[in-house]
Amino acid sequence: MIYQLSVPAAVPGVEEIRILEWQGEPGTAFASGDLIVELETHKAVVEVRAGQAGVLRTLLADAGDWLAVGLPLALFSDDADEALPDPALASDELVVEFDVT
Amino acid sequence: MSSEQTRMFFREAVSRAVREEMTDNPRVFVLGQDVGSFGGSYREFDGLYKLFGPERMRDTPVAEAAAMGIAAGAAASGFHPLVVITYMDFMMIGFDALINYAAKLRYKTAGRLTAPMVVKTTAGAQGQGVAHSQCIEAWLMSVPGLKVVAPSSPADAYGLMKTALRSDGPVVYIDHKRLFPTPGNVPVAEAPVPFGQAFIRREGRDVSLVTHSYMVRVALEAAQMVEAEGISCEVVDLCSLAPLDIATLSASVARTGRLLTLEEGQTTCGVGVEVAARIFERIGPKPWSRIGTLPAPVSSNPVLEAACVPNAGRVAEALRSLAGHPLTTSSFVTQEAS
Amino acid sequence: MSDPVERLRAMLMIRAFEDCLAARKDHGFQLLSSGEEAVSVGLAAALGSADQLLTGGRSIGPALARGVDPGQLMAELLGKVAGTNRGRAGRGHLSDPDRGFFGAHAVVAGNISVAAGVALARRMAGDPGIVVILFGDGASGAGPLYETLNMAALWQLPLLFVCNNNRLSVSTTREAGNATKNISDLGAAFGLWTRVVDGLDVGGVAAAASEAAGHVRLGNGPAFLECSSIRLRSHSTTARETRSRAELAALRELCPIEREIALLEGGGQLDPARTQALRDEATQKAEAALAFADASPYPDASEVLNHVE
Repeated sequence: MIYQLSVPAAVPGVEEIRILEWQGEPGTAFASGDLIVELETHKAVVEVRAGQAGVLRTLLADAGDWLAVGLPLALFSDDADEALPDPALASDELVVEFDVT
Repeated sequence: MSSEQTRMFFREAVSRAVREEMTDNPRVFVLGQDVGSFGGSYREFDGLYKLFGPERMRDTPVAEAAAMGIAAGAAASGFHPLVVITYMDFMMIGFDALINYAAKLRYKTAGRLTAPMVVKTTAGAQGQGVAHSQCIEAWLMSVPGLKVVAPSSPADAYGLMKTALRSDGPVVYIDHKRLFPTPGNVPVAEAPVPFGQAFIRREGRDVSLVTHSYMVRVALEAAQMVEAEGISCEVVDLCSLAPLDIATLSASVARTGRLLTLEEGQTTCGVGVEVAARIFERIGPKPWSRIGTLPAPVSSNPVLEAACVPNAGRVAEALRSLAGHPLTTSSFVTQEAS
Repeated sequence: MSDPVERLRAMLMIRAFEDCLAARKDHGFQLLSSGEEAVSVGLAAALGSADQLLTGGRSIGPALARGVDPGQLMAELLGKVAGTNRGRAGRGHLSDPDRGFFGAHAVVAGNISVAAGVALARRMAGDPGIVVILFGDGASGAGPLYETLNMAALWQLPLLFVCNNNRLSVSTTREAGNATKNISDLGAAFGLWTRVVDGLDVGGVAAAASEAAGHVRLGNGPAFLECSSIRLRSHSTTARETRSRAELAALRELCPIEREIALLEGGGQLDPARTQALRDEATQKAEAALAFADASPYPDASEVLNHVE
C-alpha cells in the first residue's frame, strides 16, 4: 500500500514551513517511532516521526524548500518493491507523530 | 537592481536587516529583554549574539523606562541603538525618555543634538490579554519628531528596519505577533524601504481600503471575499504611519471615490481618522467608514478576543455597505459593529 | 577649580545671575538654585572638560559651574536666539555639550536613565570621560532612578549619581518623599560607593565629589553622592512659598556663600574689601549677561517648525 506524508498542522497559525533535514532517502526503511524529517516553523522545529513502519520511496520536496501545511512531502509504501502509481498519488496518509521543540 | 528574491521567515528578515546594518555601522547596537544569547522573543535576532557579542547584543533587566532612557542617551551621544520593547503595551513605561526627551531633542537643541534610536516593538492580539495586545500607534503618530513604521511582510520588515537604522531621529518600528509565522519573499540585493511611502497591494475600482501591519492580510482576504459580488477593492498598505504618504492615499481615493480605513487599534482618534482627514483636506470629502477594534480591552479569552478585533467578515460587510453608497454624497457612512 | 577663591567667585556668579534674572519682570518662570551653589561648584570642581554633566530642571547653577557662557545662558532663559539652544529650550531643558553640560531634562528623574545611556556610549566609544547625573531629592522616589541604579551597577557604568537634597520637592519634605534614612542608601543597596556630604560646604563637596569621581574614573563602577543643601527660594519663581518668613530667615543664616566668605576671611585668604570686589564683579558679569541677552532678538515665528525632525 502507498502512503503519503503531508506537512502536519503542528503549530497553530503556521501556514507554511521550511524543510530542515530529511533523515533518510528513497529506499530507507522506517520503524514506528523513527525520525523521518525535521521541519522548521517561524520559531520551532517539528520532528516528524513514523507512526507506522514503512519504506520511503519518493521525496517530493528537498531540504530548504518551502511548503504549505497539508501539501505532500514524500511517498511511502509497506514494501520496498511495491509499484508506485503514475502519477504517484496516494489516498492514505502515513500515520505520524510529531514533537515540536 | 536585481529583482531576484529569496524566501524567509519574518524574523529572518528582521535579523538580516539588523545584521547588515550592525556590520556596516559599528555604532548600531541592540538592547532589551532576551535579545542576547536567547536571540529575541521571536528569534528575530538569532545568530547575532554570536556575531556581535554581549556588548552589542545587550540583555537588559525588565526595566523599560531605563532601557528607553539609556537608548535615548546613547543615541544622543553618537550611537544608534535599537531598543526592543517586547510588547507595544510596555512602551508606555518608557514614554518619558522616548516622547519627552528623544523626540524633542533635536528641536530643543536647535539641531545640536539628535537621538537616532529605533524602538522595535510587537503589537496586536494573539491570546495575550488586555495588557499585551494593544495597538497604540495612533498615539505615537501625533508626536512631533517621531517616525512610526509598521511592516506587513518580511520584505517590508527588512526594508523598513534598514531605513530605521539609518534614520537621524527616533523611529518606532512596529511588527505584529501574527506576522511572524508567515514567510515571504525578500529581495536578495540590499533593499531599504523608504519612509513616507504607502504601497498598493491590490488594485481596485470601487473602494480604497487603507490599512497597515497584520490588518493588510485581513484586508486582502476581505477584498477577495467581495470580488465575486462585483465589488472591486483596492488595498493600500500604509507601511509608514508618520510620515503618511498622502499623495498615494489621495490618488487612490480620488480614483475609487470611497474610503474604508481599517486598523487593529481603536477608531477613536485612530489612524483611520487621521488618514481620512488628511485625504479629504487634499481632495475633498468622500464616502468613508472606519473599522477598528471594538471599544473594549482585548481579552485573552478567545471568544472575546475574536469578537473585539476586526476580521475579514466585518471588513467585507463594511465594503458592501460602502460600495452601495452613492458617490454623490459625502457623509460619513455609519458602520454598525458586528 | 581647586582655588577656594575661584570657587567663591563661581558661587557668587550663580547667585548674582539668579538675582538678576529673578528681578526681571519678563523672565517667565524660572527654577532657581540659590542656596545650592556649593553643590554645583563643588561638583564642577571635581570634573574635567572630557566629562559630561546632566541635570534635572534646576540647572542654572550647574550650567554656570560647568562653564556655560553666562550671556548665552541668560539669552536662553529669556528665549533669545543667542541662547545656547537658540532660545527654544529655556529653563529646564538647556544644554551646551561642548562645555561638558550635556543638558537638563525637566521631567523629574527623566534624565537619570538618559545619563546612563550617555555613560554607556562613552564606554563603548572608549572615551575616558565620566558622566554625572545631578537630581533633587524630589527624584528619589521616582522609578527611573531605581531602574537606572540597578542597570548602572550591573553594567558598571562610568556614572556618578549626585543627589542635591534640598529637602523639599515643591511642598513635600524629604522625610515625606523617601523612606530611606539617607537617600544615598539607595546606592548602597546596589553596591555603589556612597557618601553623604554637607552640601553647604563647597570645600567638602569638592573633596567628596573628587573622591567619588575618582572612583568612577578608575573603572570601579558607579558612585552615589548625596549633598544636603537648602533652597532659599520657592520651587519656582511663580510657585507659592510653603515656608514661613521665620523659617526662610533661619535658612538664609546657613547660606553657603556667606559661610565660605566667613571661612576665607577668617583664614586670611580674603579681606572684606576683596570680598566686596568679588561681589561687585559677579554683579557686573550678571548685568553684562543680561545686556547680552537683551541685545539678542527673539526667534522669528517662522522658525517654529525648524529642527522638528
